[in-house]
Amino acid sequence: MILNMDGTKPIYLQISEWLEREILNGNFESDQKIYSQYQLAEMFTINPATAAKGLTLLVEENILYKKRGLGMFVSNHAKQIILNKRKNQTLKKLVLEIVMEAERLNVSREELIQMIQAVNVEEAGE
Amino acid sequence: MNIIECSSLTKVYGAVKALNNLSFELQENKITGLIGRNGAGKTTLLKIIAGYYRETLGEIKVFSEKPFNNLLVSANVMYINDQMNFPTALNLKEILNVSSTFYENWNHELADRLFDYFAFQQTQQYNNLSKGMKSTFNMIVGLSARCALTVFDEPTTGMDAGVRKDFYRALLKDYIDFPRTILLSSHHLDEIEDILEDVLLIKDGTKLLHIPVEELKEWAIGVQGSSAAVNDWIKNREVIHSKNVGLDRMYAVVKQNGSESEIQRAKEAGLAITPISSSDVCVYLTSKNKGGIDDVFIKD
Repeated sequence: MILNMDGTKPIYLQISEWLEREILNGNFESDQKIYSQYQLAEMFTINPATAAKGLTLLVEENILYKKRGLGMFVSNHAKQIILNKRKNQTLKKLVLEIVMEAERLNVSREELIQMIQAVNVEEAGE
Repeated sequence: MNIIECSSLTKVYGAVKALNNLSFELQENKITGLIGRNGAGKTTLLKIIAGYYRETLGEIKVFSEKPFNNLLVSANVMYINDQMNFPTALNLKEILNVSSTFYENWNHELADRLFDYFAFQQTQQYNNLSKGMKSTFNMIVGLSARCALTVFDEPTTGMDAGVRKDFYRALLKDYIDFPRTILLSSHHLDEIEDILEDVLLIKDGTKLLHIPVEELKEWAIGVQGSSAAVNDWIKNREVIHSKNVGLDRMYAVVKQNGSESEIQRAKEAGLAITPISSSDVCVYLTSKNKGGIDDVFIKD
């Protein structure tokens, strides 16, 4: 199971995030047909309505577009939209949490930035 | 289209009201989970829907008809529980063969494949099967019948974890192949929630919630922190569970109101916010008191 069925994050969000990763990984190109709700339901043993909700979310964000009777397709700027969204929403939230945790632990801004830079160095060294 | 419509449905056994003014509608081709504690009225409701029991008060319509003593309902509803009455003169294979003549959409290929997959023997007798094997056989009959309304009342009783998983997957796959209305009662919401579309939660014979299962996951949140801060934050909110932790800390579960700013305010006040799983929401909503089992052990 690729999804994280920990019972807390709504499955339709996990589906849309999984599809976003598939697009970012290059498994789906622009104008390529993406999985149908029934394929997703089958793949993850989830209700087709839940899978549809995950797809609809991506249509609302212009990452996918609908062709009547044909299914859903990856839009032209899908990758860019996903990257922007992740940066402005996911990354910002994570940064906020890091900053708050640092404050709770009395870690100064400078120290925090150093820690972040240290992580970069380590990863680049790999 | 509504497959089931019931309004103010009431069922009285002597002094006990098993169902009390229950009203809801079930739409076509949805998989709905019927969730409730022991004695909440699940089986009574399902048996009324299947036409086994007659309601005391109120109205129930299945396929727009009263289900009790109704041929249309009998032919199009499959009710599976752990007390199936199969003829003792027939062996397992014969039961399947006879069942196939009762149901218009019966899929005999599916029945045979499931029969072989779960390693049943043709000449076995139903009454000699173990509890789990009986449930597995019932499931084969329930799925293969492909009835427009398929009702499973605690279908996984006695099944081992592997078979339960197989059952849920088989149910979902056959539902995708042949969409129909499925009503599934279970104690294990965490096991079935992925395949459900809606959840109908009942307590003491009345409806508590009837919402999409995905909404149930976001229905409540937990907050933990110092008692003063938690008490301040949960003011004017619907608290469904609370518990003192340690000396001066408290954990409370409240109904979500979708306000991001309030979550932010809680985080700034040093409260830890945790998501609440749907099965926990159901447990809290259906418990008799806010403290749960701990209340029993309070010493004055």
